[in-house]
Amino acid sequence: MEQLINDLKVKIKEALNLEELAPQDFDADAPLFGEEGIGLDSIDVLELIVLLEREYGIRLSNPKEGKAIFKTVRTIAEYIKENEKK
Amino acid sequence: MIRVLSTNITSPLGLTTEENYRAIRGGATALRTCEGQWNLPETFCAGLFTEEQKASLAMQGYTFFEAICIRSAREALSHTHIDVASPKAILILSTTKGNVEMLGTKLYYPSEAAQRIAHELGMTTKPIVVQNACVSGLSAQLLAERLLSGGFYDCAIVVGAEVQCKFIVAGFQSLKAVSSQPCRPFDMERDGLNPGEAAATIIFEKPQTSPLLKERESMVNAQCSMGKGWYLITGASRNDAYHNVSPSPKGDGLLSAINATMEGWVVSRLATVSVHGTATLFGDQMESVAIERAGLSDIPLSALKGYYGHTMGAAGVLEAIITMCATDDGIVIAPKGFAEAGVSGRICMNATETRTEGDAFLKLLSGFGGCNVAALYSKKPLPGPSQESIVHSYESIVRKVRGQWSMVNSQRQVVRISSESGQTPADIYRNETGQGYPKFYKMDILTRVAFVAAELLMKQTGTASLPETCAVILFGHSSSVVSDRHFLSTISSADGFFPSPSVFIYTLPNITVGEISIRHHLHGETTFYVLPDKDEALMRQIITASMVNGRWSMAIGGWVDAEDETDFECELSIYNITK
Repeated sequence: MEQLINDLKVKIKEALNLEELAPQDFDADAPLFGEEGIGLDSIDVLELIVLLEREYGIRLSNPKEGKAIFKTVRTIAEYIKENEKK
Repeated sequence: MIRVLSTNITSPLGLTTEENYRAIRGGATALRTCEGQWNLPETFCAGLFTEEQKASLAMQGYTFFEAICIRSAREALSHTHIDVASPKAILILSTTKGNVEMLGTKLYYPSEAAQRIAHELGMTTKPIVVQNACVSGLSAQLLAERLLSGGFYDCAIVVGAEVQCKFIVAGFQSLKAVSSQPCRPFDMERDGLNPGEAAATIIFEKPQTSPLLKERESMVNAQCSMGKGWYLITGASRNDAYHNVSPSPKGDGLLSAINATMEGWVVSRLATVSVHGTATLFGDQMESVAIERAGLSDIPLSALKGYYGHTMGAAGVLEAIITMCATDDGIVIAPKGFAEAGVSGRICMNATETRTEGDAFLKLLSGFGGCNVAALYSKKPLPGPSQESIVHSYESIVRKVRGQWSMVNSQRQVVRISSESGQTPADIYRNETGQGYPKFYKMDILTRVAFVAAELLMKQTGTASLPETCAVILFGHSSSVVSDRHFLSTISSADGFFPSPSVFIYTLPNITVGEISIRHHLHGETTFYVLPDKDEALMRQIITASMVNGRWSMAIGGWVDAEDETDFECELSIYNITK
């Protein structure tokens, strides 16, 4: 799980162009959205949906599901673990 | 104020305004389900020309986009006696993606298409392309109003057009904005827009002076027919400065555009408000809130996307024409797809065709980049705002000398950056603007260039903040070619089909003006124009005309162009108005 979380941080940083943020700067359990988070917005959610499909083969057809899945890096990792295609 | 001489709509529903108007009065719709179209994995619903229609409309030597523009303009011209070759006649082309299918060739460039169309029509002046996302059609008409009222031209042929393709539909699908069902504007069950294609033309003239008319047409008691005889009184463009894709929840930009347009006008004269109504969840919601806040809750709304889909660059022209025809007949066309209101703002929308009174209407559009435009049309002429103001540009010239930006002439302040300096926009951002705006790295090259130039302009002119009414008016040649190439790679890569929403957004060049507005909290007008070349006289003419009639007193304006990541140029000034 920790390896997946670290990989995810790198991929998220690249996919969302989070240039001024080092992967180690965002806590796996810190919220990604909202004022307490790292300031991601609705387009970032859509880009994360593309990332899940491109990198892990997981298709999320309803963007409304994203709210719970993309809460933190750890929740994304857990969702990938549960749904990743073998 | 300018007067409509003639109109045309070329769409899947007909080849003239009359054919189109009759078709939708008869309940026809262009919308159909598209499964497997362009090998797109998701089914969508759209208003597209049939293959038979495409074959009959095609013109040898022209792209389909150019062909429908030429046919639409030519049919509209056939009802007038305009001398199109006159130096006082101009073509204004409104489109969001033009010939994007020709990416990789010279034909891609929007100004190339405009020049080819203008040449085929026999015109001799340089055409202007408006690429202002979904509000382009109204922005183009406002430009016509300003250029004609300002005396720069006597006649303007405004053509709005869009041809759909895999590129556009994949992009909107990546934003989860496209419905697989016929769209339902303002309805409880709405779940997205339907792409549509069409070309629509309005030929405007300046009232009282029409030297371009070989035979003088009677202005007095002119019979209104298919839009002819209507006046575009005025209009306003305002930015949300909120988000490039999500509209302001309170409809602030649209409300401000409506209020500026309706100033001094009696609401009861409005027969209808012709809404944008794309049937997206947030777009319609925002529009309803702005309508209520503007005191227009009792004016019946017209929503036409259920007939044509969202025709993007054509929408503002096409929907204005249809609304002119309907208002002439004293009706509000049934908003196809609407059954029960699903918005929080109080609105007056009936599912069936209704009678209405009034001799004027308001047309609204909102689009990505936070832009909103309102335009007021009337059957009776009214004078527009006075034109006593004089535009002053205190341009600045700043040159990069040995790594330091320095003011060359304090009276003429222009910030110029280009790839020739060897610095990337990111270098300038890191080294010279103080950073602190992480979103910078999400921007494409065109937006980064304009963004850092605006930062430097503020710094060099010692401007701590700009008035919130400040406009942002940019011009370019290459449109959004770099992001267009990038987005195309995400939908045509050998690795798979993964259209990127964040890349697609930047395939609309007016996102540049939106980003600058968000950064500096500017709620004024924002427009992106494409020109054949960096014609400073024409740019000055457009900014001057816009400032005179645009009801704003300050603008950041200039040229921004990026052909690729290592070939870019930007030159910005602050324009001021003094009375």
